[in-house]
Amino acid sequence: MILGRGVKKLDLVDMLLLAALVGLAIVWVAPIVWVVGLAFKPNEVLMRTTGGVFAPPFTTKNFTDILATSAVFGWMLNSFIVSIGQTFLTLAISTLAGYGFARTDFPGKRIAFVLVIAGLAVPEQAIIVPLHTMFAEAHLHNTYLGLIAPRLAFPFGVFLMYQYFKGVPREIEEAAMLDNASRLRIFFRIVLPLTVPAQATLGIYTFLHAWNEYFWPLVSATKPEMYTLTIGLAATQTNFAQTEGIGFLMAQAVFAGLPILILYLFFQRHIVTAVAGGAAK
Amino acid sequence: MTMTKLKSTLAAGALAVATLATGGAALAQQKTEITFARFFGACDADYGTSQDYQKARGECGVITTLVNHFNATNKDNIVVKPQIIEWGPYYQQLTARIAARDVPTIAVMHTSQIGDFVRARVVEPIEDDLKAAGIDINDFTLHARTGVTLNGKVHALPWDTHAWLWHMNVGLFKQAGLVDAAGKPIVPKTVDELMQQARLIKEKTGKPYFVMASAGGDVGSGARSFWTMMYTQSASIFRDQNFDKADFNSPAAKNAFEVFERLSKEGYITKGIDGAGALGGFIGGNGAVLLTGTWRIDDMIAAAARPESALKEYTARIFSNLFREDAVWADNHSWVMPRGGTTPQTRKAAQVFLKYLWDHNFDWARGGGHLPIRNSLMAEYAKLPERSNVMRVTEIGRSLPHDVRRQFGFQSLIGEEVNNIINGNKLAAQAMKDAQERADQLLSRR
Repeated sequence: MILGRGVKKLDLVDMLLLAALVGLAIVWVAPIVWVVGLAFKPNEVLMRTTGGVFAPPFTTKNFTDILATSAVFGWMLNSFIVSIGQTFLTLAISTLAGYGFARTDFPGKRIAFVLVIAGLAVPEQAIIVPLHTMFAEAHLHNTYLGLIAPRLAFPFGVFLMYQYFKGVPREIEEAAMLDNASRLRIFFRIVLPLTVPAQATLGIYTFLHAWNEYFWPLVSATKPEMYTLTIGLAATQTNFAQTEGIGFLMAQAVFAGLPILILYLFFQRHIVTAVAGGAAK
Repeated sequence: MTMTKLKSTLAAGALAVATLATGGAALAQQKTEITFARFFGACDADYGTSQDYQKARGECGVITTLVNHFNATNKDNIVVKPQIIEWGPYYQQLTARIAARDVPTIAVMHTSQIGDFVRARVVEPIEDDLKAAGIDINDFTLHARTGVTLNGKVHALPWDTHAWLWHMNVGLFKQAGLVDAAGKPIVPKTVDELMQQARLIKEKTGKPYFVMASAGGDVGSGARSFWTMMYTQSASIFRDQNFDKADFNSPAAKNAFEVFERLSKEGYITKGIDGAGALGGFIGGNGAVLLTGTWRIDDMIAAAARPESALKEYTARIFSNLFREDAVWADNHSWVMPRGGTTPQTRKAAQVFLKYLWDHNFDWARGGGHLPIRNSLMAEYAKLPERSNVMRVTEIGRSLPHDVRRQFGFQSLIGEEVNNIINGNKLAAQAMKDAQERADQLLSRR
């Protein structure tokens, strides 16, 4: 039944779905609201009890303490440089590799593809020691390249783009070939624009992963001026932060997540479209 | 301009340039930068530029102000550059740094960790450095000296001793009639006495006897309590002095695990709470004895002093000896100079800084909440509130021998099994069996 202009009356199934959705959203959002609430509470109050989060007293001291950390904006800049660098380079490599595997023939292609995909099964921890040694030998620790490069070999990205290119009808490329377009021209002018949803999905995933990454920057960026935000903020925690500095910990979580949230607010429409497009292909 | 004048002008100019050049070079040479890897956090907001270490509170505050003060006042133009990292992954990062030859000049290290780093040949003896700095190693307290000594040689400058305590809510003890004529709480001396006291506390106050973190990843509380009960039985979890075979089926291990089982079954210990929950619970008057370390004494004194506090009266005691030998789990923070982290110039600067830390050991103990490591400071330390009750830690404190590998691994597995018992996930017998399997696995790795 249609009510007024385009407003559909909800049937029972719709209402049940909506209720389930609201319930899930509450479950999803409640811990985040809790974290934000704790971030505005004095630490000495939270030492006594973590109840009464939304009752006074409140304070902004946890945030001013973060801002008073002299290096915090340097760490944030490092996180941006690493995340953006990693995102663009991953996109470039995964897109080219995915296209190569999906559309071109070359000797050893099958073996190369299997080797790349096998990377999906290798956990990060298994290669951390040789990777660290390799970067140490090349004197790349405590550099941006050292923070970015290890994550550029991203089998999931290659696989995602390979799958996407496979779904693009060959006829489009063949038509362009008949018009004497070169392989590169076809790639950049015709095929690449069709893969924007997949690239957006991969880009968002890579950026978030890079922004939140902890372990590799921990062992690679050992000089405070090269810390990323995750490492820097963690370093400011006292040994007993989980008991005597809960408000500060929560403020750190909010602060570290804030740039991502702001980006999301600006690019919300594109991100939702990208994720939906990526899922539906 | 005459030739003479031109010559003098040129000469004066050359002299000025030479003076500037040599002066600048001398200035540049005079600064010696040393790196100082540590945890304890950063607290720029409160102590970023402060040099007032006497007013500083907490580990972070004291170490930050001490470094600031040293940088501002040392006459050798030494600059100490802190490299602060989170405490949890600190040792993984330090290992990675050493592997990458990015070695700090000085690094903090628990003495329970030194054995692994000495075996890896990255921590070496520093007796000569300490002697050159004017540090008298004969002034080290017994526990601290044992902690930094391997193969008969001192490998680190100890910085403090920290141990496992009973933080007691005297008000609840009074309510249960468990105080002596002077109003001091009576501390149980056997497991049976403990159970009787716990029953009385529960009957008279409705509160559990022990408040202890057993969730949220807290493994230290259970492990340190377990170690203490093993040490007080003069027992070890290792079958021999090779420390390559563990034995969790010994009568002593069984006794220790069963204490937790009895406490849990009778509801005499809190269940399923993390560190914050335990601290808040105790301050809120929801238990008679908080099991945590020396580092909490000042917090508890402050909490008890608040008019509205449910913690009416407070005192601290060393974890009670429920068996036969006076002993308690203890560890130390210490300073090492990892191999490859110094040049002759920075080594000399490091010696100067270590001497400065040595001279300020009492400031760390007062503000940081730990025990000093110098015998000559103990009398002064005893004057601080509650400290006279815990001073014997420096004599009866026990740690695992340095020959035991992967000591934090043992802490994790024991703490998890103790937590399983407390939270009702396992009985003591099952926890012993599982601990044995996990220890065998841990020791089988080379």
